[in-house]
Amino acid sequence: MGKKLVIIGSGAGGASVAAEAKRRDPNLDIVMIEQGDYVSTAA
Amino acid sequence: MPYYIGDVIRDENKLVARTPERFRDSGIEVLIRTPVERIDMKESAVQLAGGSTIDYDILAIGTGTIPILPGIPGQDLEGVFTLKRLNDAIRIKSYIDMKPVRSAAIIGAGFISMEMCENLRLRGIETTIINMGNLPVTRWDPIFSKRAQEELDRNGVITLTGTKTESITRGNDGRLHLATTAGELAVDLLIIAIGVRPDARLAAEAGIPLGKTGAIQVDFSQKTPLENIYAVGDCCEVFNRVSMRWVHIPLGDIANKQGRVAGRNIGGAPILFPGIVAAQSFRLFDLEMAATGIDEREANQAGFHPVSTIVWGNAIAGAMPGNSPVGIKLIADRSTGKLLGAQAIGEAGAVSRVNTLSCALWAGLGLEEVAYLDLAYAPPFSPSWDPIHLAAQDLLKKL
Repeated sequence: MGKKLVIIGSGAGGASVAAEAKRRDPNLDIVMIEQGDYVSTAA
Repeated sequence: MPYYIGDVIRDENKLVARTPERFRDSGIEVLIRTPVERIDMKESAVQLAGGSTIDYDILAIGTGTIPILPGIPGQDLEGVFTLKRLNDAIRIKSYIDMKPVRSAAIIGAGFISMEMCENLRLRGIETTIINMGNLPVTRWDPIFSKRAQEELDRNGVITLTGTKTESITRGNDGRLHLATTAGELAVDLLIIAIGVRPDARLAAEAGIPLGKTGAIQVDFSQKTPLENIYAVGDCCEVFNRVSMRWVHIPLGDIANKQGRVAGRNIGGAPILFPGIVAAQSFRLFDLEMAATGIDEREANQAGFHPVSTIVWGNAIAGAMPGNSPVGIKLIADRSTGKLLGAQAIGEAGAVSRVNTLSCALWAGLGLEEVAYLDLAYAPPFSPSWDPIHLAAQDLLKKL
């Protein structure tokens, strides 16, 4: 397993980190944590 | 989200760029309804509400903003909303759908308030803006803000200016009764839109430095000053290329780009975030409003010597049917002739011109260059001398 990336928040910023980091390094172990009900929403 | 509430966008799923399932399909674990209690820097772990922890090698913080509340009695009553998350928009829309909401008030007169007005009016709701100041959208020159106020008036929006809301109570009639410095007002729905502040609590408590703006301090790689900790979006600062200062401008398009930059740096394909020029637009009924760069106040703070002009021109060739006026304000530095900022307003052609001027700001162009920029002229789209040219040439005379 690769390095572990934890992302706090899944809005435009957090969701973009998750998608792009995984695209560039598929071995990354990524967990995205969201306090609300929805992820990756548009304003 | 305002357009979802106005039913212009019907389906809330259209506001979700990527579902948890799609993240999971690409191998990204997603935890929803999971508040983070604290960041444990010593153990490199995130502690969740409930006590369990998740270890990290690399941490990215994208905690966004928190709506500012006026701190008045009754601000947490049912029927009082802020608009930040998709959930808020869904709750507002279902409240409107289920209750008979005939009237609404909005506290605040920024661009979110403007977008909400348009959409509440679209749903046939009588709408009142409660503005502490005298004009809406104060990023724009008072001459343009007055035009925005006229647009509100023309579309039946009631505005109370210089007015403070002091308390909210539920009346016997079931409505929300607002006690304001301009008298009492009863409405079915109240939206508080007086601004947001960065949600930097977790970072601050963990000792991650904040900038002067109160948002998390980052560098051009989106790294915080602490090893292996990144921050992106509305919770962190961003570099303004015009003022050369780190600022806090919470806009989703900036968050997307910062997120992608951080993702590349974490994923081993390094890139720097080039900063912003603070371009922004919104629509108010039949009006486009847009701004970019800095205004005179920010220019003075950054040590420039600002001069400005406002020029009204034709959005398209004057002889063409459907022509309408467009107002352009340009701000430049008197000592260097460098363009510092631009604002525009009109029924058409305001946003496109501010986008053009954003490129000019990005490239650091001077007024001499802007005055003769080669633009895509044709009568249905612009006069042969574009209002951009006219404004730049007018401002050159003041240098």
